Amino acid sequence: MKRKMVSVLLTAVMAASLLSACGGAGASTESAPAAAPAAEAAPAAEAAPAAEAAPAAEEAGAAAAEEATGGADVSGKTFAIVVKSAGNPYFKKAIEGFTEVIEGNGGTVVVKEPSAATVDAQITEIQSLISQGVASISVAANDENALQATLEEAMAAGIKVNCFDSKVNADSRATFCNQAGTTEVGQALIDAVLDLSGGEGQYAILSATSQATNQNAWIEAMKSIQESDSKYANLELVEVAYGDDEPQKSTDQTQALLSKYPDLKVICAPTTVGIAAAAKVLQDQKSSVKLTGLGLPSEMAEYIGNDDAHSCPYMFLWNPSDLAKLAAYTSIALVKGEITGAVGEKFTAGEMGEYELKDAGDGGSELILGPPFQFNPENIAEWKDVY
Amino acid sequence: MENRSLFKKITGSREALLTFVLLVLGIFITVLNPTFFSPVNIGQIFRNNALTMIMALGMLCVMLTAGIDISITSTLAFAGMSIGMLTKYNIVNNTFLLFLIAMVIGCFCGMLNGLIISKGKVAPIICTMGFMYIWRGMAYVVGNSQFASGEDVREFAEFGKDGTIGPYIILIVCYALFFWMLKWTKFGRKIYAVGSNAEAARISGINVDNTLISVYTMMGTLAGLAGALSVSIYASAQPNMQYGREMDVIAACVIGGVSMSGGRGSVAGTFLGALIISIIAKALPLINVPSIAQNTVKGVIILFVVIFNVITQRMVDRQNLERREM
Amino acid sequence: MAGKSGRSIKAEEKLTAKKLLFTWEGALILLFIAVNIFNMSISQSYTFANVLREMPKYLAEMFMVLPMAYILVLGDIDISVGSIVCLTGTLTCYISNAGAPFPVVILGCLGTGLLCGAFNGFITTSFPELPSMITTLGSQIIFRGIAEISLGGGGSVSYTNTKQIMPLSTKLGKTVPVIILVVMLAAVIFTVVLQRTTFGRSLYAIGSNKVSAFYAGVDVKRCRFIAYVLMGFMAGMCGLFLTAYTYGANTTTGQGFEMEVIAMCVFGGIASTGGKGTLVGGIIAGLIITLLRIALGQANVNSQMILVIVGALLIIAVLIPGIKGRFDELKKLRAAA
Repeated sequence: MKRKMVSVLLTAVMAASLLSACGGAGASTESAPAAAPAAEAAPAAEAAPAAEAAPAAEEAGAAAAEEATGGADVSGKTFAIVVKSAGNPYFKKAIEGFTEVIEGNGGTVVVKEPSAATVDAQITEIQSLISQGVASISVAANDENALQATLEEAMAAGIKVNCFDSKVNADSRATFCNQAGTTEVGQALIDAVLDLSGGEGQYAILSATSQATNQNAWIEAMKSIQESDSKYANLELVEVAYGDDEPQKSTDQTQALLSKYPDLKVICAPTTVGIAAAAKVLQDQKSSVKLTGLGLPSEMAEYIGNDDAHSCPYMFLWNPSDLAKLAAYTSIALVKGEITGAVGEKFTAGEMGEYELKDAGDGGSELILGPPFQFNPENIAEWKDVY
Repeated sequence: MENRSLFKKITGSREALLTFVLLVLGIFITVLNPTFFSPVNIGQIFRNNALTMIMALGMLCVMLTAGIDISITSTLAFAGMSIGMLTKYNIVNNTFLLFLIAMVIGCFCGMLNGLIISKGKVAPIICTMGFMYIWRGMAYVVGNSQFASGEDVREFAEFGKDGTIGPYIILIVCYALFFWMLKWTKFGRKIYAVGSNAEAARISGINVDNTLISVYTMMGTLAGLAGALSVSIYASAQPNMQYGREMDVIAACVIGGVSMSGGRGSVAGTFLGALIISIIAKALPLINVPSIAQNTVKGVIILFVVIFNVITQRMVDRQNLERREM
Repeated sequence: MAGKSGRSIKAEEKLTAKKLLFTWEGALILLFIAVNIFNMSISQSYTFANVLREMPKYLAEMFMVLPMAYILVLGDIDISVGSIVCLTGTLTCYISNAGAPFPVVILGCLGTGLLCGAFNGFITTSFPELPSMITTLGSQIIFRGIAEISLGGGGSVSYTNTKQIMPLSTKLGKTVPVIILVVMLAAVIFTVVLQRTTFGRSLYAIGSNKVSAFYAGVDVKRCRFIAYVLMGFMAGMCGLFLTAYTYGANTTTGQGFEMEVIAMCVFGGIASTGGKGTLVGGIIAGLIITLLRIALGQANVNSQMILVIVGALLIIAVLIPGIKGRFDELKKLRAAA
C-alpha cells in the first residue's frame, strides 16, 4: 500500500514536470511550422530499408517545391541561423537582421543559440536542424574545423550551408559572409596603433580566447603588415594577452600589462568584451595608455573621446545586423539555386546591392561586407542607440 | 626541545602554516618581479578578487555543516543580470536599492537550496547542481540576449570604480561580521556543532534543519551581494559572468584548511586561502608565465598546497603519537 | 535491457513484475515511455532515424556514465573527466597528424585517458584525507591546462587524416551508428561487473562504510584506484569518439561534461553519498535526459530553457526519496498512535 502511494506520487510529479515543460515548449514550436512538411517525409522514408532515403526524399521534395514556385520566392521554407552562444547582444542584432530579411521574403526563421560557446553545443543544434529538415543553415562557428563532419552531413541532406562572422573550413560550407577582409581589419588596427602611439613605442594586444579564429587571423595580419612596411618599424608588440572574453580576466590582464610595461603606449583589443573591460581599467586609472580595437558602440560610448578623460579615441566594427542580412540574402540565393558557392558568381542581396563571391584564400569562396567602420567621438552618439 | 616547540608552533596551527606558504609565495614572486607588492597591486588584488573572498565566507559556513554549494556563481549571475537590467532600463537607479535587490534575490535562491537540502534530505552537491543549471538559465532569460555595460550602469559602477573604497568596506564588514558570528555567537557555535556531528547536535536540542536553511540562505545572500559587486566593479552584467568560478571559491576554502566533511575551518584560514588564490591569479601574468600555461601552473599550485597541508598534518599527528608514547 | 535490473545488492528476494515497478528503475522505465510519448507530441521530427542520427554526441558522454557510477557508488566524485576528454582528444589529433597508424592512435588516446585516471587514482588513494572533489578539481585544471599548452596559440587542432578515423563515426547498414554498439557492449560489461562480481560488491561495501569494508578485508585502496583508472579510460573512449565526430579538438572540448554525466547518474538513482543505486538506473536516466534534450531541441526550445528543465527534473528526482521518507515516518507515527 505504502509503495503504491509512493509510485503514484512519483508518476504524478513527473507528469506535472513534463506538462510544465510542455507549456514552455508550446510557444516556441509555433516558430517552426514550416519544419513540419519536410519532417513528415522522414517517417515515410523510415519504412524504406535505408535511412539515407530520408534526406534524399526531403531533397526531392524541396526540389519539387522549388520548381512549382519557379524559384521566385522562398515562402514555406525554413532558414536557420546558429550563433556562437546565447546571451550576446552582438548576435542578438545579427538575429534581428537575419529575421527581418527572411520574413520579408516569406520564409520562416529558426534561431539556435547554443547554451555555451563550444563546438559540442553547436553540433547538437545543427543535428537538430538536420532532423527538422530546414532549407538552409547560416552558422557563426566556434571552431573552424570541428563542425566539418556535422555540416557535411547537413549538406548531404540537401541543406544549404553558409557561415558568417566566423568561418568554417572550405569543405564544410558553400560560402562565407565575411564582415571585413582579414587584411583590411589588420591594416585598420595597426594603422590605429601607429596613429595613437605617435609613430613609435610599445603596444600590446588583448585578445579573446587563444583559439578564437577571427582574433588570431587579425593578429597575424597585423604582425605581417608590421613586418612588411618600414613605417611600422618603431612599433614593438610586447605581448598578446588573452582575456577569454570574461570581464574579470580581461581586467586582470589589462592591469598586468600596465604594471609590466610602464612604457606601454597603446593597447589594441580586437574583441568586444575585452575592449570594454580594458577601457574601464584605463579610464578608472586615468592612465595615459590609449586604447583601440573592435567594440560595440553601445558598450563603448562611455569611453570614446579625444581628451584625457576618455580612454579610447576611436575604434572599429561593422554592423552585425547588416552582416546577418547579407547571410540571409546569401541563404536565399543558395536555396533558390542562383549561386552554388563557386568563386566569381554574382547575386543581388536585396537593398544591399550586388555582391560577388571572391576567393577566400582557403580553397573556398567568401563575400565581403565592406571595410570596417570607424567609430569616433563625432559619430558615437548616433550609433550608440543602434547597436 | 626548543626546536621542536617552534616546529610545533608552526605546524600546529593551520593559519600559521598558511602564512608560511604565503610568505614563500611572496618571496618567490618578489624575486621574479620586485615591484609586485606595490600598494596599487595590493589594492587591485583585493578589488579584483573581492567576489571570491566574499563568497568564500558563505562557502566556509556551508562547508562547516559538511555541505557544498556549486550554484553560487549561477546565483551571482542571476542576481547581477537582474539588477543590470533594472538599471539599464532605468527602473531602479539607486545604488543602495540595487544592492538590496540583488541580495534579496540571492537570499531567495539560497533559501530554496537550504529548504530542499534540509527538508528534502537531498545531498547538497546534487541539489545545488540542479540550481546551478536553473539560475544560470534564468540569468539568460532575464537578460534576453542583452548585456548591461558601460553607459547602462554608469551610475551604479561609480560605487566600484577603481580608486573608490566601497568594495574594500564591504569586504572588511563581511569579514568582521563573519569572524564575530562564528567565534562569539550562539549561532556560530551551532554551525560548528551541526557540522561536527549532526545527530549529536539534534539530540542536544539544536534545530539542525533551521541551521542548514540559515547557512544556505547566508550563502545565497552573499552570492547576490557578490553579483551586485561584480556588476559595479566591472561595469558589466553578462549572463555568463563568473562561469566556473565556484571552483575557485571552493579551492580557496580548502586551501584555507576548511574540511569538506564539516566542523573544521576558520574565517582567518578562509581569508588566507582566498588570498593565496588571488595572489596566484594576479601574479602569474606578472612573472611572465606564458598566457597558455597559466591554468596549468594554477592547478599545480592548488594541488601542491592542499597536499602540503595533508603532509604536515600527518607529521603533526605522528609527533603527537610519539609524545604520547614517551 | 531492464529485465534483470532493479535489484540492489541487498535485495536477494524474488523479483516480480509488480515489485519491479516500485523500484527506482521501474519508475524510470515508466518515465522513459512517458518521455517518448511527450517527445513525439512536441516534435514531428522525433523519428527513429532522426534520433539515431542525433544520438552519437550524447552517447559519447554515456561512456563516462558507466565508470562515474562506480565512483559515485564509492562515495567519491570525479570532476576532471571533461578535461580528460579534452586532453585525450587533443593528443589523438597530434598522434595521428604525426603519421601514426590507426591502432597506434587508438592506443595513444585510450592510454592517455588511462594515465590521467591513474594520476587521479594515485593522488586520491595516497592522500585519503583529501576529498576527491578537491583532488580532481586540481587535476581538472591541470589536464585542460596541458591541453591548452600543447594546443599553443591557435587553441585548436584538426584531425587531418579524416579518412582514418571515419570508421568510428560510420553507420552500420547506414542506420545504426557504430558508437551505439560500442556503448551497449561497454554498458553490459560495466553492469555485470558492478552487479555480479566481487569487485562490484566491494565498491558497494566501500561506499556504504569505508572503515568496516576495510576490516572486512576489502582492499579499499586498490578498488578506488581501479575505479579512477576505469574512469580515465572511458573518458579517453569519449574523447576518441568525439574526435571522430568533430575531426579535431580545441580548448573548450568536453567543457561541462562532468556535471552532465554526474547529473545522469544521480537522476538514475545513484546517490552521491555512496553505496546506493544500480547502473541500469543510470543508463535509463541517461537515455531519458538525452531523448528529452533531442526532442526539446527539435521543437526549438531555447537552449537555456532546456538547461532549466533538466535542472528542475534533477531536483524533483532527488527530492522523491526524501518525500517518500517523510511519508514513511508519518505512517509509522500514525500506526504508533
